Amino acid sequence: MLLTRVIKLIKIFLILMFFSLVSGCATTQTVESPDPLEPVNRVSYNFTDTLDVYLLKPVAETYVEYTPELVRTGVTNFFDNLSYLNVVLNSFLQGKIDQGLSDATRFIFNSTIGLAGLVDVGTPIGLPKHDEDLGQTLAVWGAGEGSYIYVPVQGPNSSRDLPDLVSSTLLNPLFYVTGTVLFPLTALNAINKRANLLEATNIRDEAAVDPYTFTREAYLQRRQYLIYDGNPPVEGYEEIFEGEGNTGNEDTGVLQIK
Amino acid sequence: MRSPHIIVKHFFAVILLFFIACSQAEETDATFVVEELHTALLNVMQKAESLDFQGRYDTLAPVIQSRFDIPLIAKVVLSRYWNELDQQKQNSFIELFRRLSIATYASRFDDYTGESFKTISVEQLKKGRQLIKTELISPDSEPVRLDYLMHSIEGKWYIISVIADGVNDLSLKRAEYATIINERGFENLIVEIEKKIKELGDTSTKG
Repeated sequence: MLLTRVIKLIKIFLILMFFSLVSGCATTQTVESPDPLEPVNRVSYNFTDTLDVYLLKPVAETYVEYTPELVRTGVTNFFDNLSYLNVVLNSFLQGKIDQGLSDATRFIFNSTIGLAGLVDVGTPIGLPKHDEDLGQTLAVWGAGEGSYIYVPVQGPNSSRDLPDLVSSTLLNPLFYVTGTVLFPLTALNAINKRANLLEATNIRDEAAVDPYTFTREAYLQRRQYLIYDGNPPVEGYEEIFEGEGNTGNEDTGVLQIK
Repeated sequence: MRSPHIIVKHFFAVILLFFIACSQAEETDATFVVEELHTALLNVMQKAESLDFQGRYDTLAPVIQSRFDIPLIAKVVLSRYWNELDQQKQNSFIELFRRLSIATYASRFDDYTGESFKTISVEQLKKGRQLIKTELISPDSEPVRLDYLMHSIEGKWYIISVIADGVNDLSLKRAEYATIINERGFENLIVEIEKKIKELGDTSTKG
């Protein structure tokens, strides 16, 4: 019964992956702006921001206030470990065999000796945590970024990163949990995730003059950084200085003065 | 066995050489510029108890002003719109951006919990630029990568871009400012930045 359900989901996932690849390749060649869906995205962003201001953020702040840091670290470790099979798979899919083996061993160690993931025993013994997902794999395989998509509640995304929502869900043991424990676990995961993002959103609130654009640019750049495992091509940093000392009329693809 | 006198002499000779080396490095070494900024940041972080926002602002101002190429950054951040401004507006935007940059640092580096900075590597780029990769190490959180894009004018190095964990503050601001200029015009951008500078001073936890 479960097997047929999984097979069915894998089929859907493969189809989604195919479409993402096709649309990713197609869109990058034709679309100049990184955000052709901006009007819709802004609606999603404003909706999520309102929900965040009145519900998610206050709950997360209360959680941080009343939960000892050690407990929060344990909770973060636990959910990180549950989602780690997705990292293992994507390390292999990107051809990082040694990293994949290290990630698989890390998952086994943390799931067993690490008390179901509560304690990160992997990092101290040379099995560091890596950050991989299907969006990064698709990028390594050559798929274009596609359009920026702000998914309500879930947050910033792109058409290349969307299939990861499916793979990370399917590869997370939480997906196969049923019964009464499911709701509290899912809620705790969401609150903890939001709590871990408090610092980032505080920086955004402090620095941004246009929070929507700030979030989009920070997300797209951060993705680029992760795809290249922390060493993106420096041309990306330099290109905005090209043409300096000349006319300064270079086409940026972003700025469109009326 | 050497006499203590000779050892002391050697000691002073080494110290002297060290200072000479440092003073030369100041003008020729891009790493020195970044490390000087880091030292200034650590200094205000450690003194956060006694320095309020204005105190941190005043302490950081000379370092940021002399080590960042703010006129170039201000020009790049406005992109094509820069050329539509007259000289006076360009100058006042440079001044505004300078205040924003200092206020941002003064607001963010407002406490000390054992942080330290580490220079990881120096990369030579085209057009004589350099990329200095560093890390902000903190005992209770993951290290933050801080990369500095540097260029040199008449043998003096300046920071032209800071990239934190892959997020380039300059291109981020450029996109934000473009959005505001397109939707609400340049004058409103100035209003927003002024508001931001005031907020940074007001909401900063210490001061």
